[in-house]
Amino acid sequence: MIGWRSTWSIYTRELMRFLRTAFQSVLAPVLTTSLYFIVFGAAIGGRMPDLGGVDYGAFIIPGLLMLTLLGETTSNSSFGIYMPRFTGTIYELLSAPVGVAETLIGFVGAAMTKSLILAAIILLTARLFVDYSIAHPLLAVLYIMLVAAAFSLFGFILGIWADNFEKLGIIPMLFLTPLTFLGGTFYSIDMLPEPWDTIALANPIVYLVSGLRWTFYGSSDVNIWVSFGITLGFLAACTAVIAYIFKTGWRLRA
Amino acid sequence: MSEPILELDGLSKVYPGGLKALDDVNLTIRKGEIFALLGPNGAGKTTLIGAVCGLVRPTSGTIRAFGHDLATDWRKARARIGLVPQELSTDMFEPVQRAVAYSRGLFGLAPDPVRIEEILRSLSLWDKKDERIMALSGGMKRRVLIAKALAHEPDLLFLDEPTAGVDVELRKGMWAIIDQMRAKGVTVILTTHYIEEAEEMADRVGIIRKGQLIMVDEKEAMMARLGRTEAHISLASPLTELPPALGQYPVELEEGGASLCYRGGDGTGRGKAEVADITKALIASGIDYTGIDVRESSLEDIFVSLLGEEDEQAA
Repeated sequence: MIGWRSTWSIYTRELMRFLRTAFQSVLAPVLTTSLYFIVFGAAIGGRMPDLGGVDYGAFIIPGLLMLTLLGETTSNSSFGIYMPRFTGTIYELLSAPVGVAETLIGFVGAAMTKSLILAAIILLTARLFVDYSIAHPLLAVLYIMLVAAAFSLFGFILGIWADNFEKLGIIPMLFLTPLTFLGGTFYSIDMLPEPWDTIALANPIVYLVSGLRWTFYGSSDVNIWVSFGITLGFLAACTAVIAYIFKTGWRLRA
Repeated sequence: MSEPILELDGLSKVYPGGLKALDDVNLTIRKGEIFALLGPNGAGKTTLIGAVCGLVRPTSGTIRAFGHDLATDWRKARARIGLVPQELSTDMFEPVQRAVAYSRGLFGLAPDPVRIEEILRSLSLWDKKDERIMALSGGMKRRVLIAKALAHEPDLLFLDEPTAGVDVELRKGMWAIIDQMRAKGVTVILTTHYIEEAEEMADRVGIIRKGQLIMVDEKEAMMARLGRTEAHISLASPLTELPPALGQYPVELEEGGASLCYRGGDGTGRGKAEVADITKALIASGIDYTGIDVRESSLEDIFVSLLGEEDEQAA
C-alpha cells in the first residue's frame, strides 16, 4: 500500500527546493549548453563533416542533453537525500509512516521532473543555435525519462552512501563527467581508431548517448534495443540496491 | 488504570562498536500519562526513543504501540506517534507554516489549514508563519519542531530534551505547552536533564542508566518511598555529645557540635513530624537553638542518590 499523500508531500517539497534555486538551476545548464554550442557547434562544428547525414551542431545535441541530464539528475537526487541526513531532518522521514515506495517516488520523481524541465530548456536553447528535428519524439521522451529515473536512483544511492560532501561530489566529477565526455557526446565512436573504438564500448555511457541519438536521428553507434536494455538493467540494479538499503536501514537507521 | 498504548518487552540495542545502549528494557506506557525518562548522558534515553520512532533498529525485543507490533505493522503505529528531536533539525529555508503543513502531509493526512493555524496559534507561532525558520530564535525553532510533531495529531508524543538550552521563561512556556497536550489527552514521554521538569510535569518517572531501566514508578510514590527530610538545627551552644532524649532519632552532630543534623523520614511527612518532636525534646532537655533549616529531598536528590547506589553496587 502506497501512501500517496505522503508521496505527494515529499515530491512537492523536493520541487520547492528546486524552485528556491530556480535561477541557478535553470541558468547554469542554459549557459553551459550555450557555451558548448558556441565552441563545438559554431567554432569547431563548421569545419566538421556531417556525421551519418546529420549536421555536427545537431549531432551533439543528444550528447549534450545526456551530459547535463546525468550530472543534474545524479546531483539533484543525491543532494535531496544527503542534505536531510547531513542536517538531521531525516528523522522526520524515518519516523513517518512512509516506506521505500513513497520515498523513492517522492525523491526520484522530483529529481526526474527537474531533469525533464532541464531537458526541455536545453532543447529550447539548442534551437537558438542549430536547426534539428526529432525522429522519434515519444521514444525520446520515454528514453529521457528512463535515464532520468535510473540516474535519480543512482544519485539516491550516492546520497545515502556519502558521509561527507567530498564523497558526494567525487563520483559525478571523477567518473560520470569523464565517461560522458568519452561516451560519444561530441563524436561518433566510429571515428575512433582501433582499438579505442572497441574499448569505448566498455563505457556504459556510450550506450546511453547512442540510444538517445537514435531517438533523435534514427541512427546510432549501437543498437537501440541494447541501449534500452542497458538503461533498464541499470534502473533495475539501482532499485534493487535501494530496496536492500531500506530493508537493512544501512546508513539511514542506527 | 488506563490502557497501555506502548509496550516495550526485552528491548535491547547493541551498536556496531559493541556499545550496549539498551539492555533488556521492559516498559509499559499508559494512555494519557506524562512519563519522564531520566538518566545521565549516554544512558540510552535517545536510543529508546529512536527505537520506538523508527530511527534505531533494535537488536532484540519487541515494541508494541497501540496494539501494533512495530516490526511488522509499523505504518499504523507510526501514524499515531510524534517526535520532537533533541537537535534543532529542520529545513531552515522553509517558512514556518509550510514546514508544518509538510509534516502533516508526510504522515498521510489531508491538508487542513485550519488545524495548522490552530497549532501555530497555540504555540505562539502564528505571527511567524511566513518567516523562514532560520530567522527564528532558538526557542521559536523548538516550538516549530513541536508544531511539526503535532501536525498529524499524534496520540503519543516523544519530547527528547524539550527544554535543553532554553531560558527559564521559555522552559516554563514549554511546560504550559505540555500541560495543554495533557489536557487534550495526548500521552507524552519526555526525556530531560532537568529533574525539576520531571518533578513539575510527570505522572510517572523512569530512571535509566547504562541502558537499563533501574526504576519506574509514580512520581509521588517514588518521592514517598525514597524521599527524605533533612533538617539542620543551629544550637545556641555547641554540644560534645548527643543528648539521650534524641537517641531514637537519626541525628548527628556537625560543625564541631554547633549544629544538629537530622536525615530521616520517608517523603510522607513523617520527617517533618520527627523534626518537630526533636525540637520539643531539645527544649525539654534545656538545649536552646537559634535556627532550623528543614528541606524535603527533591526528585533530583532521589535521582542522584539512586545513581550513586547503583555505582556503589557496580563497584
